[in-house]
Amino acid sequence: MRRALLVLAALLASGGAARAADLMPVFDAHLHYSHDAWDPVPPERAVAILRQAGLRRAMISSSDDEGTQKLYALAPDIVIPVLRPYRKRGDVSTWVRDETVLTYLAERLARHRYAAIGEFHVYGADADLPVVRRMVQMAKERNLFLHLHGDADAVERVIKQDPDARILWAHSGFDRPENVRAMLERHPKLWADLAFRTDHASGGKVDPAWRTLFMAHPTRFMLGTDTFVPERWHYVVEHASSARAWLEDLPREVAERIAYRNGEALFADAFRRD
Amino acid sequence: MRWLAALLVLLAAAAPRAELLDFSADEIARIVRHGPWPPTVAADPSNRVSGKQDAIGLGRALFFDARLSPDKAFACVSCHDPDKAWSDGRATSMGRTALPRNAPSLLDVRQRRWFGWDGGHDNLWSMSLRPILDAREIGGSTAGIADLVRTDRNLSACYARAFGREPGAVEAEALAIDAAKALAAFQETLTSPRTPFDDFRDALARGDKAEAAKLPVAAQRGVRLFVGRGNCAFCHLGPAFTNGEFHSIGIPFFVAGGADGGRHSGIRTLRESRLTLLGSWNDDPVRADGIATRHVDPQHRNFGEFRVPSLRMAARSAPYMHNGSLATLADVVRHYARFDPERLHGDGEAILKPLGLDDAEIDDLVAFLESLSAEPPPTDRRACG
Repeated sequence: MRRALLVLAALLASGGAARAADLMPVFDAHLHYSHDAWDPVPPERAVAILRQAGLRRAMISSSDDEGTQKLYALAPDIVIPVLRPYRKRGDVSTWVRDETVLTYLAERLARHRYAAIGEFHVYGADADLPVVRRMVQMAKERNLFLHLHGDADAVERVIKQDPDARILWAHSGFDRPENVRAMLERHPKLWADLAFRTDHASGGKVDPAWRTLFMAHPTRFMLGTDTFVPERWHYVVEHASSARAWLEDLPREVAERIAYRNGEALFADAFRRD
Repeated sequence: MRWLAALLVLLAAAAPRAELLDFSADEIARIVRHGPWPPTVAADPSNRVSGKQDAIGLGRALFFDARLSPDKAFACVSCHDPDKAWSDGRATSMGRTALPRNAPSLLDVRQRRWFGWDGGHDNLWSMSLRPILDAREIGGSTAGIADLVRTDRNLSACYARAFGREPGAVEAEALAIDAAKALAAFQETLTSPRTPFDDFRDALARGDKAEAAKLPVAAQRGVRLFVGRGNCAFCHLGPAFTNGEFHSIGIPFFVAGGADGGRHSGIRTLRESRLTLLGSWNDDPVRADGIATRHVDPQHRNFGEFRVPSLRMAARSAPYMHNGSLATLADVVRHYARFDPERLHGDGEAILKPLGLDDAEIDDLVAFLESLSAEPPPTDRRACG
């Protein structure tokens, strides 16, 4: 009887392990761990959530940067640090005109390694303001990505400043798929995350216009949860699950690229897991 | 005699002066959209006993009956007290354990499209059954409900009159759902009373300036803010002062051990339920009301969204928000005046911005909100039969 139970337990355990291994890995390109998250979701809990979600890697930025460093120190195998030009959440609406942001960025860049600068919010002509211009140059000098939350106009202006700039376009600009496509085709060093948008897939089915876009440019998209309020850390696991569900509606190779291979290809070299 | 004249002058000076603000035609049109009250509501086609007096009586009896719980400790009225606008006055309710949400008022519930803070139910009868079966709340069972209706002579007779069949001939689940439909029929009768705002609104609608001027000027200034600069009516629209849908307004939604997913988890509850308008327990053979349920799909933005409540009788249903985190109407208005916009996704709830009201404007909005409440009629607690 005891032996039978052990065999049953072993079978169940191996089944569970197989299921975990079968889960599509996910590269989450859009997470924040800002100051108001640290108490309600302590670093150990945040890292546990990342692992529970089956995230292969997670690009994390925070206001201020200490949040990112806390998680990177705990989980360098998963966390890819990204530097936000915000010291507190309120900076989002003022940073483009605040020159002290540049001092802050320089200080952090001198002290830590990052894969990108962002996520930062900028729209239209504000992208040509001196603070933004200097930040774009800082990224260029260090060969860093820019994680830009803004409209197509802002993206164009940044690319004009640095034609070699590599940009991850947050939320694909919340733009329509045909406009996203036009931007991707015009700018070979532009990638797009799908955070906080659901128009590309509903009920586990990919929208036809987005399907066409994913099939045409499978190497240009990434997933993202966007933990813009700390409560959303408790959505990371579910977000990964729902992403896996709609990705099943795409050919496996395309799904894997969007799920994790694109992120790995672009960022993993800078932050190897070993 | 002279002293009497002087007294009259003093009294006249002390009396509030009836005054009507110079509302524009557009403002009047916006105000008038919040009435008339009470509205005419049709019977619920998904509930074959909706509007039927025998069922209303049965539902009323069950609503106040603690025998629905196995230890007779809880009834519906435990969290929905008629003396507290059919809420419980607590920030979050206390069932058999501490519950994570505020007990919503049941007033005007017939006019809702989704039920519960998360809209996990698309009809009132399934919503009514949930807390009875929830182990954290009443903690009953379908068998327990059926047994009560079958064995209590009075309830049994009421059931037979309401549903046209003997409860002993009905299997337990069907009987429990019938009981829930009777509970729904009763709750549909809970309507907010007419209020000072309604008199004001009707007077404006018919051009009776003298009557409209009876609403205190502070409340008039408040309603002007409400339909104007505050744009509160964008979500709190119509006679019931709600669009019945779900939004994030920057209220924290952590709960013990995680976060309250709100509408996102509500949609999941809805999809997993057999008791929706799409199911066989819907008494409407056409199931026309099930369209929204068929098409609703969880979106990332739904995580942490909660149903927009009615503002009627708000002054009597404190505290406020899904978690009762705001104690007074002034706290609610202050929240809208000063909340952190970064708690809303810039591209998700762009309609909401801090109103930046000063203290006098906050007082005016509170005065208006208070004008949406009035003394309710006495509660009918008669047993059925």
